[in-house]
Amino acid sequence: MAGPLEQFVIKPIVPLPEVAGLDLSFTNSSLWMGLAVIASYSLVMLGTRHAELVPGRLQSIVELAYEFVASMIRENAGKEGMAYFPVIFTLFMFVLLGNTLGMIPGSFTFTSHIVVTFALAAAVFVGVTVLGFAKHGAKFATLFVPHGAPTAILPLLVPIEIISYCVRPISLSVRLFVNMVAGHTMLKVFATFALGLGVLGVAPLAVTVAITGLEFVIAFLQAYIFTVLTCIYLNDALHLH
Amino acid sequence: MRTASALAAASVLLADAARAATGGDGAGGEATSGGLPQLDPSSYPSQIFWLIIAFALLYWLLAKRALPRVADILETRQDRIAADLDRAQSLRQEAEEAMARHEKLVADAQARARAELDAANERIRADAARQEAELERSLARQLAEADQRIAAAREDALKALEDVARDASREAVGRLVGVDITTEEAARVVADVRKQAA
Repeated sequence: MAGPLEQFVIKPIVPLPEVAGLDLSFTNSSLWMGLAVIASYSLVMLGTRHAELVPGRLQSIVELAYEFVASMIRENAGKEGMAYFPVIFTLFMFVLLGNTLGMIPGSFTFTSHIVVTFALAAAVFVGVTVLGFAKHGAKFATLFVPHGAPTAILPLLVPIEIISYCVRPISLSVRLFVNMVAGHTMLKVFATFALGLGVLGVAPLAVTVAITGLEFVIAFLQAYIFTVLTCIYLNDALHLH
Repeated sequence: MRTASALAAASVLLADAARAATGGDGAGGEATSGGLPQLDPSSYPSQIFWLIIAFALLYWLLAKRALPRVADILETRQDRIAADLDRAQSLRQEAEEAMARHEKLVADAQARARAELDAANERIRADAARQEAELERSLARQLAEADQRIAAAREDALKALEDVARDASREAVGRLVGVDITTEEAARVVADVRKQAA
């Protein structure tokens, strides 16, 4: 029987020759990223196929997702944030599909890898920081000076603000990564108990079923949190404070 | 997040316990024995590489093809709703105008009716007044005629009385005195007596 962490093992599917000393093989992770892309794109395309005035079920899902992300941006980053709607919608769908496709038994959850979540978070961080400086120039640095703080404690506050700003990609990526790993590991552990305990395994089986439901909620919730925090960071870059 | 990481740690511990309980699997592979596969940097380049490709592809597909369709649908619906609202607004305005026209019509008719009613009333009143005046006049005339007739009758009666008095006087004088006086004398004496009595 496989250990609870084996579900996270990266397995090459199509080994590719090394490029500049880097192994870029097409792996199970790459496969599920591709499936997430296909699933997100197909969902939107199938949902909008008939373009009905009164939406059907699938079209409602697509419109709900669209309005959900759009209102998230409007509420957290204002109207100017809507310029970044496509990238934020992509981010939301990619993470959401990564999380939920990972709930399929035997699949691979690419958002359970810190390098993936960190790359996404770092991209958000770098993008937002570059945007902030491009929009406000050196004034963007005033983001690190809290309003109304006495001058005397600024030397203490500014470094704290800078550190908390720079920690953002770490907290953003670790949150998603840990939630995915913890949930999947827990599921695997309880499923293992269910198999190992024979008749008594009914109890861990029930827990597994309950946790599965919980994990679907977490899959959505973490995608939402990742996206909403991106919007909040974007708001900082667009409006300072 | 802290609870989540605590959960992760706990589940890793639990996993070990589970493996111990089930007698271990022995063939867990190098990944499990080497800790979290996530911490193996040899897979990082591939993951990042495919992440970039997948994300860029999805971004391109969504931004260029999928999202404009959704935006189109929503916009069409918005336009449709706005147009419907506009139409409803104009219909409502029309209805209000028609209502105003109708009310004006009713008010006009009422005013006309009232005017006609007033005129008729006036006419009736005038007629009544005229007839009343006529009646009064004819009554007054009849009254005057009656008065005249009464006066004439009185005069006749008085005259007859005078004649009776004259004849009676003459008769009385003739019987008492035995003198035959003429009718004229008797009439003069009666007239003198009446004058003195008056």
